[in-house]
Amino acid sequence: MSISRREFTIGSAGLVGTSTLGLTRPALAQSEPIKVGWLAALTGPSSAPGVGFNRGVIYAAEAINAAGGVKGRKIEIITRDTQGDPTKAVNATQEMISQAKVHAIWGPTNSGESLAVTPIMARAKMPNIHPCVVDSLIDEKKFPNAFRLAPSNTQWDDAVRNYCLKILKLKKIAVIGDTTGYGVSAVNASVAGFKKDGAEVVYQANIDATQPDMTPDMLRAKTSGAEVVVVWSVSTGMEARMMNVRAAMGWDVAFVGHPSLSSGEIGNLVEKPANWEKVYAVGYRSCSYGADGKLAARNAELVERLKGKVNLSDTLLWWVTCGIDAVEMVAKAVEATGSSSSEAIIGHWNGLAKYNGYFGDYSFNPNQHNGYPTADVVMSAASSAKDGAFLLAPGYSG
Amino acid sequence: MSNASRALTEPLPSSPVRPAAWTTLLPFVILFGLAALLPLTGNDYWGLIATRAAIYWMLVSGLSLIVGFAGQLAIGYVALLTLGAYTTSVLAAGNVLPPLPTFMALGVASAAGAVFGVIVGLPALRLRTFYFAMTTLGFATIVTQVALAWQGVTGGGIGITGPEMPAPFNTAWGFFYLCLGIAALCTWGTSNIARSRVGRSLVAIRDAEVAAEASGISKARLLVVVFMFAGALAAMAGGLFASLQTYITPDAFTFELSLLFFIAVLIGGRGSILGPLIGTLVLTILPEIAAPLAAWSTFLYAFLLLVIVLAMPGGIAALLDFESRKPLAFGRAVKPNPHVLGELLCGERGTSSLVLRDVILSFGGVRAIDGVDLEVRPGQVHGLIGPNGSGKTTTLNVVSGYYAPENGDVTLGASLEPAAPATRAGRGIARTFQTPRIVGEASVLDNVMIGGAIDGRATFMESLLSLRRHRDDEARMEADALLALRAVGLEALAHVRADRLQHSELRFIEIARTLVLRPAFLLLDEPAAGLSSVEIDQLGRLIVEIGRQGTGVLLVEHHADLIFSICDYVTVLNLGRVLAAGTPAEIRVHKEVVSAYLGG
Amino acid sequence: MLASILASGVAVGAIYALIGIAYNTMFSTSRVMSFTAGQLGMLGGVLGSLFVLRLGLPPIVGFVAMLACCALIGVITEFVAVRPVLKSLDQHLYVLSTLALALMIQQVTAIKWSTEPQPFPRLFELGSGTLDEKFWVPVAACLLTIIGLELLYRKTLVGRAFLAIAEDNFAARALGLPERNLRIASYALAGAIGGLAGFAGGQLLLAFFANGPLLNFYGFVPVALGGLGNNRGAVIGGLALGIFQQAANFLVGGIFSSVAVFCIFIIVLLLAPQGLFGSHVARRV
Repeated sequence: MSISRREFTIGSAGLVGTSTLGLTRPALAQSEPIKVGWLAALTGPSSAPGVGFNRGVIYAAEAINAAGGVKGRKIEIITRDTQGDPTKAVNATQEMISQAKVHAIWGPTNSGESLAVTPIMARAKMPNIHPCVVDSLIDEKKFPNAFRLAPSNTQWDDAVRNYCLKILKLKKIAVIGDTTGYGVSAVNASVAGFKKDGAEVVYQANIDATQPDMTPDMLRAKTSGAEVVVVWSVSTGMEARMMNVRAAMGWDVAFVGHPSLSSGEIGNLVEKPANWEKVYAVGYRSCSYGADGKLAARNAELVERLKGKVNLSDTLLWWVTCGIDAVEMVAKAVEATGSSSSEAIIGHWNGLAKYNGYFGDYSFNPNQHNGYPTADVVMSAASSAKDGAFLLAPGYSG
Repeated sequence: MSNASRALTEPLPSSPVRPAAWTTLLPFVILFGLAALLPLTGNDYWGLIATRAAIYWMLVSGLSLIVGFAGQLAIGYVALLTLGAYTTSVLAAGNVLPPLPTFMALGVASAAGAVFGVIVGLPALRLRTFYFAMTTLGFATIVTQVALAWQGVTGGGIGITGPEMPAPFNTAWGFFYLCLGIAALCTWGTSNIARSRVGRSLVAIRDAEVAAEASGISKARLLVVVFMFAGALAAMAGGLFASLQTYITPDAFTFELSLLFFIAVLIGGRGSILGPLIGTLVLTILPEIAAPLAAWSTFLYAFLLLVIVLAMPGGIAALLDFESRKPLAFGRAVKPNPHVLGELLCGERGTSSLVLRDVILSFGGVRAIDGVDLEVRPGQVHGLIGPNGSGKTTTLNVVSGYYAPENGDVTLGASLEPAAPATRAGRGIARTFQTPRIVGEASVLDNVMIGGAIDGRATFMESLLSLRRHRDDEARMEADALLALRAVGLEALAHVRADRLQHSELRFIEIARTLVLRPAFLLLDEPAAGLSSVEIDQLGRLIVEIGRQGTGVLLVEHHADLIFSICDYVTVLNLGRVLAAGTPAEIRVHKEVVSAYLGG
Repeated sequence: MLASILASGVAVGAIYALIGIAYNTMFSTSRVMSFTAGQLGMLGGVLGSLFVLRLGLPPIVGFVAMLACCALIGVITEFVAVRPVLKSLDQHLYVLSTLALALMIQQVTAIKWSTEPQPFPRLFELGSGTLDEKFWVPVAACLLTIIGLELLYRKTLVGRAFLAIAEDNFAARALGLPERNLRIASYALAGAIGGLAGFAGGQLLLAFFANGPLLNFYGFVPVALGGLGNNRGAVIGGLALGIFQQAANFLVGGIFSSVAVFCIFIIVLLLAPQGLFGSHVARRV
């Protein structure tokens, strides 16, 4: 954690795949590949993020290897498709630890799996980075090996609440989720947050995502006097139905909530494109177009570089960039410490301050493994996707 | 087993012998022995998979009694795993009560599983198969929904930490040995059940329910016990599953997991213990080997299921049953040994007659029997003849309690409870059926032993733990059954699967099954149908000897020669009424009988 | 509010009723309850969306093509999962074979189609609010099916042969009715009815692979309540279920409504195993 090392890291960040790593000579005759376990939900329901992350992972690994690897060591990605099933994730994690003997694990990508495998990785002191949102996944005492590369639920919640209360300046809130585990817990957390901030939660519901007609619930929300509807669900079908009902009712209210509100699937499911307007989903400043319609320079350059290699049209830029960041973080840790031991990698990550990733500027220290800057969690206009990135929702400056 | 052979007076001239104990035991010893050596590899991953397989097997071993033995298609059994996992975790975490020690929490979860197992199973007593399958699926959904909604206790969607094991089970290998040990106990216990009258009765309920009832087996009582047992095992497996997972959320309990359990039983083979054990191992390990096929795993499960149902309904157990592929002797003839009957049927018989008085029963307005009076005396061979549709079989069905008469009553000393077939065996009434009701997949010996089910004194727990009374029961029943098989001349085939036998032999198996009950009255429904004339002669001699031992026989038969040569008394039915009754000599010359039935 | 609950309740009820009729149609000639009934409904939606939206066929052509495909699936069910196990009906192997086939259909759809719900086309562009076509199309489809079946059973020879077989399989065979062909025909018919249910309800349920198990269960409830083989019972049961479910959704929320539906279902079944409108106890000996 010396200062010089940190400076070196920052200096070399972002140059992966271009020159720096290629120029460093293999210091030691250690030629064993750096094995990164990748617990991905690549098939089955809720596999869209996994597929997006995977594109970034593959791109980053190929780029690093094409440039000669890390001190002569190749990056080897060991992928296991967990299908989002915690049981499969537990098996795959143990396999990576005991059989494949990976040096670090990236993933899993959804919380149900992550909750089950985090204690297992902690027992093996396996360096782990994941993008899962459930708050309890990060516990620096119990799981000193686990780092979060994305916002936590609370940070999402904060962003949504902040947008409703501070930017839209609305006070009467309806909170609606689906009946899955995630939907139920997210609604409860969100309601508690709003109440704490003095907002009035006038309507709260968990709706079965397969319910064919959302009219009764939406009517109730409307008659309760809600000024904004906060949506916590991963079910695009349910979200699209809600948007259609909102249009049919002629109710001029904003939907604010879960990133899946901006999923491309919704575009197919809404009856009219207009129904998807005035919907704001959680997004990220790094992957949003500013007022000038441009991405930040660094990511604009990345998107240029990805053209023709990585398809961005049917996925989200943040998934891809997060996948790239994950692989690079492992590579940089090995490069900086010269070792692929758990202690070295975890120690290196614990010293990161404003690490300049594509997805965000992460900062970690031994007492804080939630590395994503809250200020970078923003709301974006759900229907504005282009190359997997979105326009900022109205009200944000720049 | 050794007791049984000692109980026999002379060695049996049996060709296919019962497989020796060690050959049955060997596969289990190998599997568990290899598993116990696993820690030597030091590979925690294989340890995890093996622990998982052991936990799944605890559940499957119980489920196999329900699905494999009793034939109740409980598809949604993951419900009980979920219940056990949450109960154990919640109690160990102290969300509702002060935290309990893990093992105590496991115990409470098992008790809860036993109760819930009965609730999930209850519809099986009243509903048809498909309905039951649907309701178990419904339960699986409901349990997950409740886990989601009851956030204060279960953690809702966020889930809850699994219970932590106390030392020495808090290490990966310590926990593995714990699970392996419990799995071995489950194997031993369920094998004991499988080879007890409970196991045989369950199979009888599955494949020959009517015969099971006639043998005095109460489906409801039996199923409730088994549902309790399987529920407790499944819930315990759930608690250990939660510990293995370290953290549980409702989405860990997928339908796919339920399917895995269910299919493991069917791949393994119904009515086997080793088969489902192998099935569980295969289905747990297969996805690990075939990781690239993850997306297709459910499809593969389904495909396997279809292939098994269509191509090898016997599953792995049938593949491993080398004994049943050896050809049987050709041109076998049944040679009963009536002289053995004295040894078997010795003992007291009551002096009461079986009496029907003015019995009336109609189906859809047609009177099938219309005021029948009949008396069968102890030791009497009583023929019941008449043209088709004259009400012979219906009369038997009234006597054996399948139908409640609209009028009149049936008495044997005291009156017999109407419409309660399972009570008849207890009253000393046994019967055979027009189409033999045999469990094809069980051995001839097991089929015969079903007949003695009500003689068993051991409780379910005693059988489970193979205690003294259970072993005595088994020895006695086996000795009886072998004796009965010798009496009907089938002892050489005792260890052959019943479905490999000829039709005529099945008829004699049915008779042997009734004999182990030492019945006071025996009802035979066309026992000579399909038999050769030589075999009919043999049958006649057997029936006469049965009568001579004091058992009253009510014989429904079309073969007039047989009736007239062996019966002491004959009743002739026509259009549901008694047309004539008397000695064979009287009937032979009875005018109306001759014109109506004997055809001149 | 009440109007919209009623509209959606009656609409989903009509879909459930149609699935129930598909169950009954298969049962009548084969004495088999098939797990594929719900998957047929799912396929109706998916194939409708595939033909009309993805391949751009005119709705009527897409509809006919969908019916043909679902009828074919019905026939395949008969060949693969029903006929081979009919010999041993009392062993209930059909529960397993049809379950296996249903799962295979669902998995192939998940992998080849999508695991996300996909849009279903507007058909008539008629109506809005509670009279929107997505609400009345399923009801109309259900009505037409009932009338069609009545005409078929009463007026045509084939229909009467169906009834004869449903009444008494052995007697019908003894009369020389082509039992096997009639069975295949009834499976094709059931396939078309199931597909129609999914197509008519496509705008409500979307083209979603996971609709299968859902329809399977909710389509079975009216059969169980109305009595096996009783189409009128299925329609009454279906509508009652739809309205009850939507009302429960509204009153007690999404989580508890499925619990409520299930509890009612279990209680009614345990009290009246033959269903509310059913009768018929099989002779056992």
